[in-house]
Amino acid sequence: MTKQTISSLRTELRDLYDDYCAALDEGRLDDWSGYFTDDALYTVMSRESFVNGLSHATMYCEGLAMIRDRTNAIRETSVFEPRTIRHFVSGVRVLKDDDLIEARANFLLSEALYNSEPQILMVGEYLDVLRREDGVLKIKKRQAVYDNFRIRTALVMPV
Amino acid sequence: MSEAQESMTTERKWPELGPCRVPAWVYTDPELFERELEKFHYGKCWNYVGLECELPKPNMYRRNFVGGRPVLMTRDAEGEIHVVENRCAHRGSPVCWAQQGEVKDLTCPYHQWTFDMAGNLQGIPFMRGAPRPNPGMPKDFDKTKHGLTKLKTHVHEGTVWASYDHDAPDFNDYVGPDIIRFLDRILAGRELRLLGYSRQLIPCNWKLYFENSRDPYHATLLHSFFTTFGIYRADARFNVTPQPGGHEYIQSFLDPSLRETRSDVTAEMKTLKEGFTLEDMSVVTPYDEFEDGIISSLQVFPSLFVQQHGNVLALRHILPKGPQSTELAWTYFGYATDDDEMKTRRLKQGNLVGPAGYVSMEDGEVLAQVQAVVSQNPATQQIVEMGGRDNIGPAQTAITETLIRAFYDFYRREMNL
Amino acid sequence: MTWTTVAKFDELPEEEGVCVVAEGRKIALFKIGDEVFAIDDTCSHAEAQLSQGFVEDCAVECPLHQACFDLRTGAALSAPATEPVNTYPAKVEAGAVLIEL
Repeated sequence: MTKQTISSLRTELRDLYDDYCAALDEGRLDDWSGYFTDDALYTVMSRESFVNGLSHATMYCEGLAMIRDRTNAIRETSVFEPRTIRHFVSGVRVLKDDDLIEARANFLLSEALYNSEPQILMVGEYLDVLRREDGVLKIKKRQAVYDNFRIRTALVMPV
Repeated sequence: MSEAQESMTTERKWPELGPCRVPAWVYTDPELFERELEKFHYGKCWNYVGLECELPKPNMYRRNFVGGRPVLMTRDAEGEIHVVENRCAHRGSPVCWAQQGEVKDLTCPYHQWTFDMAGNLQGIPFMRGAPRPNPGMPKDFDKTKHGLTKLKTHVHEGTVWASYDHDAPDFNDYVGPDIIRFLDRILAGRELRLLGYSRQLIPCNWKLYFENSRDPYHATLLHSFFTTFGIYRADARFNVTPQPGGHEYIQSFLDPSLRETRSDVTAEMKTLKEGFTLEDMSVVTPYDEFEDGIISSLQVFPSLFVQQHGNVLALRHILPKGPQSTELAWTYFGYATDDDEMKTRRLKQGNLVGPAGYVSMEDGEVLAQVQAVVSQNPATQQIVEMGGRDNIGPAQTAITETLIRAFYDFYRREMNL
Repeated sequence: MTWTTVAKFDELPEEEGVCVVAEGRKIALFKIGDEVFAIDDTCSHAEAQLSQGFVEDCAVECPLHQACFDLRTGAALSAPATEPVNTYPAKVEAGAVLIEL
């Protein structure tokens, strides 16, 4: 793997992550689920669980069907205060560039609610495995491990 | 004390209608909050501290809280479980700073006072003074009198409980035979396997969370995911049973056929989503592992809700952090005998509960909303009349507020309000 | 195994320890009456010098956490130590203290 290929893959990943975050920030949940492979595993998990090698996740979606169920449930059944969420992704790096690509990135989410200023909702790290499907990079596994000791009030949207 | 606070104290008189009214000042008053901690968390009550399986090896510890105070659950070299305060007897530093660990002994980082896993003070650096011949600790300093504060500790079927009061009643007497029976339904004779943790900090008074968890009425309305999938519906069969001592249990009987059933009851449930379905139904298709078709939740006052929701086994540890702040620490577990399929089932159904749960996410949301309003209206009253003003007995329906009334009946007696 | 001179007997304090270095090892010497005992200077429990400890009844108490060790055998006599410390044969010849390493 040359420096050049890492750099171009890194650029491609940054674009992917920015688009993924924009889909969530703009509430385009169907676009968001489109970034995953059919067999994807998507989890949002506390660092407390992660460092102890535990598998329970605050959000646990095994397969695209469960990822889409999450988005449908948010739209159809969940009751929550309207909010503006903004994702900030940094530190994108490639750990492995093979048939499967392993990558990591930091995330920070701010949340703005009625009668209060935006606050940090969550900070953590994406641990990703990606696969190229018809030339397009898709997420095969994403563990969003949050550093927060506690989630502020509730976690409404995916990370 | 400011004049405003003073007048609030003098106004603190329970409404005449009794437990079917809750005055909003109970959710904000800092003095009342301190009194609650003293009475319930540092008094003769048993508080949840953890699971035995969180300390799989000797000489391990894990941090937690009883009320607002930091404690350690430890396992000594012989395997015995202890609960001690995580407060050095010397200068009040926490002895353990990492959340959990395996150690030779408990050594405070500040001055390296060393305690054994049961909290007994073993050593003090330079106790004889240094360098010679400077005096050290006074000759009559008695190490046996300056250990970590020990809590009375009880292990019940893998769950660990502690009380600051060594005269606390026997644990089984404290919770009562019904709660023991339903605890044992999911705990007895099982080797528990830890699955993980989620925590949330809800900006509300702990009693608002209590009321919410004792309120099956809201569950049939606010949580439309429940009703839509027939998991928890107003037309299902329920056992809603207050217990002495502030405990309670709620059982509902799972009837998947309700998914297809519409009745005059469902017509009133505006939130039931016709046509909404899941692509992966495993989240709402539990395996009846206890062979009784029951969904069960129970509360061991003042600190723990034990939830069996289909195949999700979750402990909700309620930690009051301030008059208007409550931590909800979720611990998920299964059994050592679970095969991969069962473990996956538990993980998938885990989406139902927790800070992002399909049937619990709304609780954090609504309680934050309620707290923000009632805190500005301490003189207002909450109405708790569903099922009868004075009824604090058991009910066979979800449409009841009997558990909230029963709680305040207990609370008022304990708090002399 | 060789005998090495590590101190002068007259210069050792009574009922107190002294740390000497021999062949790169830190060794604590204790003079009890006419006899000298030699053990490892570092406590088996934590990073502390036993030569700084309090001596009583042919035992030394670690200054850091009060674990006691038998000067004759090196055995841990009290918590928090559970492991013994090394001992070395010691003798006094013509006013010199020798230990066998």
